[in-house]
Amino acid sequence: MVSICSLLVSLLSLALLSLAKSSTGDSVLVVLEPTLDQANFSVFFDGLKKKGYELTFRAPKDVSPAIIQDDIPSFSHVILFAPETKAYAGDITPQSLVTLLSKNTNVLFVLSSKQTPVSSLAPEFSLILPPPGTPLISHFPERDTPPSVIPIPTTTNTIPVTSSNLSPIWYSGVSFALGNNPLLFPILRAPPESFAADSTEDTGADAVVDAAEKSGEGLWAGSSMSVVAGFQTREGGRAAWVGGVEVFGDEFANKEVAAGVKSGNAQFAQELASWAFQESFALRVDSIDHHRVNDTTVREHYTTNDQVVYTTHISKFNAETNAWEPFSGITDLQLEFTMLDPHVRTALPPVPGSPGEYSVTFRVPDRHGVFKFVVDYKRKGWTHIHSSTTVPVVPPRHDEYPRFLSAAWPYYVGAISTSVAFWVFAVLWLAGDDKSLYKKKGGKTQ
Amino acid sequence: MAGPKTSTAATSKSSPAASPSAVQSLWQAYTDTTPSRLKLIDAFLVFLMLSGVMQFVYCILVTNFPFNAFLAGFGSCVGQFVLTASLRMQVNPENKVEFKEVSPERAFADFALGSIVLHFFVFNFLG
Repeated sequence: MVSICSLLVSLLSLALLSLAKSSTGDSVLVVLEPTLDQANFSVFFDGLKKKGYELTFRAPKDVSPAIIQDDIPSFSHVILFAPETKAYAGDITPQSLVTLLSKNTNVLFVLSSKQTPVSSLAPEFSLILPPPGTPLISHFPERDTPPSVIPIPTTTNTIPVTSSNLSPIWYSGVSFALGNNPLLFPILRAPPESFAADSTEDTGADAVVDAAEKSGEGLWAGSSMSVVAGFQTREGGRAAWVGGVEVFGDEFANKEVAAGVKSGNAQFAQELASWAFQESFALRVDSIDHHRVNDTTVREHYTTNDQVVYTTHISKFNAETNAWEPFSGITDLQLEFTMLDPHVRTALPPVPGSPGEYSVTFRVPDRHGVFKFVVDYKRKGWTHIHSSTTVPVVPPRHDEYPRFLSAAWPYYVGAISTSVAFWVFAVLWLAGDDKSLYKKKGGKTQ
Repeated sequence: MAGPKTSTAATSKSSPAASPSAVQSLWQAYTDTTPSRLKLIDAFLVFLMLSGVMQFVYCILVTNFPFNAFLAGFGSCVGQFVLTASLRMQVNPENKVEFKEVSPERAFADFALGSIVLHFFVFNFLG
């Protein structure tokens, strides 16, 4: 009976696994503004459906389906294609969106140059938006599109969440500066020649020149601005911020950047979504093992100066096979053995020949107390790995200290010789001639 | 311990003679007047003193690392010295007046028991 049940459960989980394309689930809520036509984003949405996502559409003011119900997210991912909506139904609030992110739900935000609740939420993610009504403009390279429609090369990516060998991406929207929040990182930067301005006419150029001379906050220009950014919460939820919804549109996806060269929009949008939905760059710790050298069992406590082997297995999610696969690609993993401070901090290298395994041998410090094995790997774009295992370190037991040290032999000899001499003395005393003593004693007493 | 005896020996040769002869006469008096059992005790005491001095010098000059071993070794010498000195006091015929109720047999039994207990602790502590 039990085996049948477990078989059913495993079959069910297998079926679920084969459906899911993301490491966290496959249900997606698309909040689509009424002014945006679903058909205009068919390339993006069809790509998601083809990967296995179940898309549910609703307008910002629709009451159902609820984005979060009884504090439980109703969907695994939310796409917020509502760049100009100023009023939402009661369930979509900045607080509920942040709650979603803290419950490991992923959100794809889209901004516009208009002031909206979403653009008011952006500063909470350390995004610094330009003043309302100032889209990104670039007059380079020379092209037949308006100055606000810009081809952006993908080769400047420093954090390879998306491929850097795509064709340039058509972009129209706002740029934003990134604050110094360590959880935030740029995915696509604005071109160096671009700037944010409220007018596409060249007559407004003087104001931009003035701002450039003053520098500071007056100027929103150059490649330190981003147009797409990623934010990964400490709980693992991912938020992607995109400065314009047109990036995902069919028009830009099918538009040529040069004669005969299609734009990279379609692939960029899919790669961005796969990062945001925790398909790619998703890591997890499968197992942790620690034991003494020449031992195999995990010990409840260690003794000072023990040689300890710490092993961890790390997997990466593979969206193509829908499975977590052992991943040995991390070269800068570190292990810390901490009691308040790291007493040992050492590299945790991958073990050659066994995929996904990272192992290190180190000596437990000569200090007893409650220690922790800590693996803390936080890299931008990647899932944060944080694993902490508490283990007490005790001094040796009374019979575990080293014995018969060569340095102590003089003391051993001293103690043994005293004992031997005592026995010899006792034997001589008892067997010896005692006449003299008794004679004297007798003489005295008499 | 042997105080009264040696002092009488010294006063008997109180002439301003050269020091070698003083030491010699001291030694002569000791060998002549000391019972053989007390000589046996004295030899044991000298051995214990030398052993303790050597261990202490080793500890100062080389290492005190297994400190428990040093304490045990040195303590066995000191403790045995104290017990043996006590035995010498009690069996010395000169001190008969002071230890009326303690016979030499009783004194030796006390000494042996004390020593065995001492060695038990020493070897426990030696590591």
